[in-house]
Amino acid sequence: MADIGYITLWIAFGLCIYVPVISVLGARTRRNHFILSAEKGIQAAFGVLTLASFCLIYSLITDNFQLRYVAEHSNRAMPLFYKITAWWGGQEGSLLFWVWILSVFSAIVVAQNRYKNRELMPYVYSVLMSTALFFLVLILFAANPFAVLPPSRVPADGAGLNPLLQNPYMIIHPPNLYLGYVGFTVPFAFAIAALITGRLDSTWIKSTRRWTIFPWYFLGVGILLGAHWAYLELGWGGYWAWDPVENASLMPWLTGTAFLHSVMIQEKKDMLKVWNVSLIILTFMLSIFGTFLTRSGVVSSVHAFAQSSLGYYFLVFLTLVLVFSVFWIVKRWELLKSRNELDSFISRESIFLLNNLIFVGIAFTVLWGTMFPTLSEAIQGTRITVGPPFFNQVNVPIGLLMLLLTGIGPLIPWRKASWQHLKRSFMYPTFGALLGGVLLFLSGVHHLKALLAFVIAMFVAGTILLEYIRGTLARREMTGEDYLTAFFTLISKNRRRYGGYIVHLGIVLIFVGIAGSSAFQIEKEVVMKPGESAIIGDYRIKYQGISFKSDPNKTVASADLLVYRQGEKISGLVPEKHRYLRGDQMVTTEVAIYSTLKEDLYTVLGAIEEDNTAVFKFIINPMVLWIWVGGFLFMTLGTFVITLPTLEELKERERAMQPEWRVGSKVWSRA
Amino acid sequence: MKKKKLKFVIGGSVIALAITYMVFAGARNNMVYYMTVDELMAKGKSFHGEGVRVAGKVVPASIVKGPQPTEVKFNVKDKDGTGILPVYYKGIIPDMFKDDADVIIEGRYDADGTFHAKTLMTACPSKYVPEDKQQYISKEQLKSY
Repeated sequence: MADIGYITLWIAFGLCIYVPVISVLGARTRRNHFILSAEKGIQAAFGVLTLASFCLIYSLITDNFQLRYVAEHSNRAMPLFYKITAWWGGQEGSLLFWVWILSVFSAIVVAQNRYKNRELMPYVYSVLMSTALFFLVLILFAANPFAVLPPSRVPADGAGLNPLLQNPYMIIHPPNLYLGYVGFTVPFAFAIAALITGRLDSTWIKSTRRWTIFPWYFLGVGILLGAHWAYLELGWGGYWAWDPVENASLMPWLTGTAFLHSVMIQEKKDMLKVWNVSLIILTFMLSIFGTFLTRSGVVSSVHAFAQSSLGYYFLVFLTLVLVFSVFWIVKRWELLKSRNELDSFISRESIFLLNNLIFVGIAFTVLWGTMFPTLSEAIQGTRITVGPPFFNQVNVPIGLLMLLLTGIGPLIPWRKASWQHLKRSFMYPTFGALLGGVLLFLSGVHHLKALLAFVIAMFVAGTILLEYIRGTLARREMTGEDYLTAFFTLISKNRRRYGGYIVHLGIVLIFVGIAGSSAFQIEKEVVMKPGESAIIGDYRIKYQGISFKSDPNKTVASADLLVYRQGEKISGLVPEKHRYLRGDQMVTTEVAIYSTLKEDLYTVLGAIEEDNTAVFKFIINPMVLWIWVGGFLFMTLGTFVITLPTLEELKERERAMQPEWRVGSKVWSRA
Repeated sequence: MKKKKLKFVIGGSVIALAITYMVFAGARNNMVYYMTVDELMAKGKSFHGEGVRVAGKVVPASIVKGPQPTEVKFNVKDKDGTGILPVYYKGIIPDMFKDDADVIIEGRYDADGTFHAKTLMTACPSKYVPEDKQQYISKEQLKSY
């Protein structure tokens, strides 16, 4: 199996060289059958990479410890599900997983554009497959998942997967991130194709609209899943530590979000072409860079980077991408110039621009803070780190400004806003938010930053609500539908707009959750004997006792807690400690949480003494649930509404599938 | 026409400059030196009372618990180093804290030669999980909202 896997990788490698060459040749010499051959090459690459992945999964399932990858990331006792998902549990496997997803996406792109964008496609294929080629080079020359151990070193059982990773969140978190990271390759490929062919109208943007939303959504969900995993699994009571790996996934999401917004200006006003092309290139580069950060060890130390050869491959590839992209932007500078210009500071275009600057600004601060230790070590020889305080100090004010723009941007008209218009749109939300702020202050919320966040959140929520109400009423005026029908037709007629509002509402909830949990967290460490109680917030927590169980993998200590509020028993909680019996006797903490919309009561079991006296950490985290609701629920709903095809699009698609658009070797493009 | 463009360029530059300024101001206030035990011992006096982050290994048989369950004294040294740094820490002790564990401590290096750790983290056993993840982060670090 390992041999078959290894051979298929080399076949894929060959295909990834063949496709770019043949498709560029086809485009240059106008030979359509070359391009058709490139398409078949992509489908073949998808086939062989699927086979390669299957070989790896098969080796994992059958406990083939001859493979170093299987020996290091799996063991006999692991459940089947975790054996399969060990495919992306380690470095070599996850790189294969990456390139496999890219081949899937490429095959989908081929199917979608059979009769569309024929002029762009050869270059799109080239970029997609060149990126795949880079990953195959990595896999074949630096991180081979099919590497075989010498017979003397084949273990009887594998090392297994780190217990911390043996939970459902950690299993679905990487694929989500990868769908995001890899997905941005598609709009990037279209942008480069548009640059090379000089077809810089908004065709490439319209064609990749869903290809932009889709990775953006999955990257966002991936980041949230990581945060949720940290919250449940690591036991320090937080969900975000500005750790390099977290930052690595946040950066492309930020620039991707900026791109989502700025393409609207190009569609509407034919402006910002350079900016859009640059943003998607930046997003793609940050996606690759994110993989590089997590995989090369450069973050933990410059020396770790030097020890792993992967880092240099990444640096070379990123440099190539940068040089190539800049070259084409400069070459097409004349075409990229905008015919229109900004009319007024108070217009939607200019708010969009500001929003873009802010997103890119936050991405820059995150990049700087993440790389600072590495750079200071490389330059001065001493490592100087900037921790979470730095990121918070810098990003909180910028973030609040961004939240404010979320409310202002969508309601400001294009070109130029009149005073009348501003008053009509913003009067109620402004007064409502200020009134809410005063009420919050009077009820004891005196934390300035949190108060500011709540007021701005109320303002944004108010503007969104008002948009929905006004839209519904206007529709009802016009058509005489009842309220509910009017409300739903309003959304289905303007999906992108009203879906976007739902996403914005999700962002508002996330901000509120972050503000509440950061500003008003209460934490208490207590030492208790069985039968004793501790008080935190409005809760009284009684420690009943402790019990020990063991299974072949681990021993488990479970503390039995009872939670009372105002003398009433509301819940039992069982925080645990798991000690795994593997070589290193790893211990994990399983927290127990009582979660409501108002706050989470978060309990952690610490050290246990001889007489069952135990150390506990109790944390009250206000409004954490808002983050998950806003993130998972609203973002999903909003993205779903945005991406649903409209009736017109469905008709259009039907037409595009009609072969009469295809004329021999002549290339049609339907602008 | 040029004038308008200029206005936007100036506006954009102001924002970019503001963000850049915030980055540098923020970094100045929050820099923490990250060094090995031997590096810190070599710096000696100049680092007394400074906030610093140190990576090292727990010297076997140096862990003394108590008097309270959340208090611990231990020594750290570099893997192949000579210097031995005594550490005092109060707080929840991480799961993987034991003899020979790789730890990262953050806190003050006092004039009496003891390191008062505000945070104690154990380096993570898996390459796939960042080392900073498996830890208790102190209140101070998290509170900085």
